[in-house]
Amino acid sequence: MTPIQKPSQVFDAVQRAKAGAAAFCTNFFPVESKLRGWIDHGELFAELRNGVAFFFRKDRDFLRFYFCAADVATLQREIAAWPGLKTEHVITDLVGNESTVNDLVSALEPAGFGRHTQLQRLVRTGRSESATDNPRVGFAEKADGRAVLGLIEDAFDRYGEQLPMLYEIEQAIEGRQILAARRDGELAGLLFFETQGLASTVRFWAVAEKFRDLKTGSALIRHYFKIHGAVRRFTLWVNARNENAIQKYRHFGYAPDGLIDQVLANRLIPA
Amino acid sequence: MKTVIEILTEIRPEFDFTASRDFIADGMLDSFDLVTLVAALDKNWGISIQGTDIVPENFQNLQTIEGLLRKSGAKP
Repeated sequence: MTPIQKPSQVFDAVQRAKAGAAAFCTNFFPVESKLRGWIDHGELFAELRNGVAFFFRKDRDFLRFYFCAADVATLQREIAAWPGLKTEHVITDLVGNESTVNDLVSALEPAGFGRHTQLQRLVRTGRSESATDNPRVGFAEKADGRAVLGLIEDAFDRYGEQLPMLYEIEQAIEGRQILAARRDGELAGLLFFETQGLASTVRFWAVAEKFRDLKTGSALIRHYFKIHGAVRRFTLWVNARNENAIQKYRHFGYAPDGLIDQVLANRLIPA
Repeated sequence: MKTVIEILTEIRPEFDFTASRDFIADGMLDSFDLVTLVAALDKNWGISIQGTDIVPENFQNLQTIEGLLRKSGAKP
């Protein structure tokens, strides 16, 4: 695996894999600003194999695997031949509708990948409801970084849900992308979002265990909608088995749009 | 045959595509929408947009999409 030094290396490798591809397949949708962060922190690596581009992002103690291949058969051949699959802890995400994703799962299973978890995308359209101010909710502050990371790591699956690193949390706090709810001087809950133009995505919404059933989560999401009055499309990804969370999102107007994220793990990742 | 605007509105009915100069910067189309849009454009005009042309710059607004269609052999 070769460390990536600049985003153009990624785009060049993707273009080479795409050139002349009859049925190009990929699970890599890079956004330049994110790529820069990964590269600056030495997290991104590539391996080019017979016209297929593999990318790996180091995430905590495992690798996130992305591929760009001319077709599924080429992908299947090259992933089976990649020796790292037997020595590294590897996770990969396949995004699409159920049938597209299942085709790719069938291609990756023989190489040693198995289903880890499934996320589903929920969408809410239309104007936001108005809400009254809640004095306990405001933007997270610089000093909250580690507490935010701790709450996210406690509440979510690090393999399945693409948890941010501390530096990403610090950037998000600086960019006013994390709402914090406080009780008794402690971080009781958070809502981490990304907004672009008329669309906004909730990345994480969590309440610390000892502060549940106090309407903390409700206060956070109502405040989130309140500050996004111009947004017309709200999205998020949720673990498909987390019925409690899905029920809450439905209550606030979200509904599945048919897009799923099937998270696969190799055999070294615990089930 | 549908127009580009009709196709865009079918994919994202909540947005007014005539009011934007940059669909990507305005958050009206994400990377997953581009896949759906390319399939719809291919079907509507009987063309096959090249993989190397599926980049955000080609989907910024109506003019760039129509330019892509012309490049791919369609007459929008």
